[in-house]
Amino acid sequence: MKNIIKFISIILLTVFISCKKDTKDPEPVPEPMPVTPTSGTLKIEFEHMFDTVEFNLGQNYKTANGDTVKANMLKYYISNIVLTKNDNTTYADPNGYHLLDVSDPASTILDIPNIPIGSYKSLSFILGVDSASNCSGAQTGALDPAKGMFWNWSTGYIMFKLEGTSPQSGSSTKTLTYHAGGFGGANKVQRNFNFNFATTTSNITGNNSPYIHLSVDVNEFFKNPATINVATQYFLMSAGATAKMYADNYADMINFEHVHN
Amino acid sequence: MCKPANIFFLFGVLIFASCKVDPKIIEPLPVSGLVEVVPEGWPLPKYTFSVNTLSEEKFALGRALFYEPMLSADNSVSCGSCHQQFAAFANADHAVSHGINDLVGTRNSPGIFNLAWHPYFMHDGGINHIEVQPLGPITNTLEMGADINPVIVKLQASSRYRDLFKKAYGSDTVNTQKMFRAMAQFMGLMYSYNSKYDYYKRQENNETLSDAELRGYNLFISKCSSCHTEPLFSDFAFRNNGLPVNVFVKDSGRAHITGLPGDRYKFKTPSLRNIAKTAPYMHDGRFTTLQQCLDHYTKGVTNLTNLDPLLQNNGLQLSANDKQDIIAFLQTLTDYKFLGDKRFSDPNF
Ligand code: HEC
Ligand code: HEC
Repeated sequence: MKNIIKFISIILLTVFISCKKDTKDPEPVPEPMPVTPTSGTLKIEFEHMFDTVEFNLGQNYKTANGDTVKANMLKYYISNIVLTKNDNTTYADPNGYHLLDVSDPASTILDIPNIPIGSYKSLSFILGVDSASNCSGAQTGALDPAKGMFWNWSTGYIMFKLEGTSPQSGSSTKTLTYHAGGFGGANKVQRNFNFNFATTTSNITGNNSPYIHLSVDVNEFFKNPATINVATQYFLMSAGATAKMYADNYADMINFEHVHN
Repeated sequence: MCKPANIFFLFGVLIFASCKVDPKIIEPLPVSGLVEVVPEGWPLPKYTFSVNTLSEEKFALGRALFYEPMLSADNSVSCGSCHQQFAAFANADHAVSHGINDLVGTRNSPGIFNLAWHPYFMHDGGINHIEVQPLGPITNTLEMGADINPVIVKLQASSRYRDLFKKAYGSDTVNTQKMFRAMAQFMGLMYSYNSKYDYYKRQENNETLSDAELRGYNLFISKCSSCHTEPLFSDFAFRNNGLPVNVFVKDSGRAHITGLPGDRYKFKTPSLRNIAKTAPYMHDGRFTTLQQCLDHYTKGVTNLTNLDPLLQNNGLQLSANDKQDIIAFLQTLTDYKFLGDKRFSDPNF
């Protein structure tokens, strides 16, 4: 019995190998020749801060309004990442959508693979999910509605979700619940970010492990232009003008720190 | 883009064989018989299955899921509990929906058919795609943000469902997309276009309308069809037809979704196909008979914010006889073939 299996495996293997040879026209590159990479992977790291200190879930911070807030959840989408080379050609991240979840540190470092080698001078992306993907039915991956970032009564992604508590919260349970969504029209909550790396370019050589370091100031959610007073502003769960107000606040919460080649 | 007619063409005609459905084993039923070309004179459907490729196995999975109580938190309610086939998939005798733990909702369960033509779903149009519609009832709107993951776990643990998913998708891993797309096939293929009215319009079966029905049809065209537009009997616009606001519920309708004052008390114009079977009526099921609906249009129209301009002149002027004729016409819109179509029935019976 075993022999028969072995025999069949050998035959299959032979067939497989010969097939492979048939279809591959250039001969495999000989071992010792150094391979010149054509692409590389870039990491984009989102470091969460509250003002100037490190931001962690379960820790108290004081907002611009003087409220003490403690977050137990912070999640948001980053999508449509585009890198621009010095020669102005661009590379768009084909993975499209990333759900960053502060409780899962791995999710706050994005891997962008297959970037053509070269020197890149800028990075842009959207905080949120573009309108098209809000209208395309059941999605998978980061956009799976099972991720809890999808409204079941008014279709659309929750683009930014911050939940926590505050002794100053006007809610009877002292909770803070901010779910920002709304994908179209004047009140949409997606926000564009565009960072020029100034003096240093991000160099993708294929042999290095470059990263771009961004900082995210969570306090920006609570201020500028609107100073949030959690005694009255402790709940958001729909699209509209209020959601837009919060989005205008977080529109500048991500900052470029540095590139590392 | 894909033309729906081409997609439908791919399915050969399979005879709906005399296969008895064993209560335990769910046989995939031939979808082919369901997949019709767009009915004569109809616009192209909005949902064409171009991404969600049709198959009998996916349809069978969608059918099983539609009638599956495991989709509710306490395994007590399925979609089919509130959407009953004999009522054109509305909920007979329930003004507003009853969910798990006897929680009572605020809205009437609408009939389900010709969904492929709907640009959005629910009375307020809050849902923009047929594939994400099931998320609402499963996660229960009464508890916003409840979780669908326990349902996935239950289905994954069921050998029957692992088998159905495997047959449909080649892998027995359950996820929301597979679930929802299968359900979209089952619901999206519920085409209803074989009422007496349709046969009459298509001049099939030598169908004729009686004098009363014809008078009713003509009245309908002049009084009702600007909103309940043929052939789907809805323009799918949001309108306020003058119902006084229920002070306990204060359902703001479309404004609940848009937040716009101009959308307050507007609801999606419902289709009037199968209307004789979908009582009770209106978004909150306040009327139990068609007579009451017509009396509303002549005597009950209330001039609130955003009353539709077409009804602003004291509603509609109709005599008692006119109403009888319109009701006679509305009764020609019942599609008995659809109500009895075994392919849409509960596979567990
Ligand atoms: C507890 C009763 C109940 C259950 C269970 C239920 N529905 Fe409904 N369904 C309703 C009500 C009520 C509405 C109208 C809701 C609204 O407008 O807010 C509705 C609306 C719909 C619509 C929109 C129809 C239209 O014309 O816009 C579809 C489609 C639908 N349901 C499918 C389903 C599916 C699929 C399931 C199972 C996952 C399901 N329903 C379970 C009561 C129910
Ligand atoms: C101005 C637009 C408009 C006109 C004209 C109009 N309707 Fe309606 N109709 C609606 C809307 C909108 C609703 C849904 C209201 C709601 O659910 O609150 C509705 C609901 C109904 C319903 C209940 C349907 C259901 O499934 O619950 C019936 C029956 C009905 N209309 C019949 C008629 C008839 C018959 C006429 C003509 C005599 C007519 N309508 C004229 C807009 C209109």
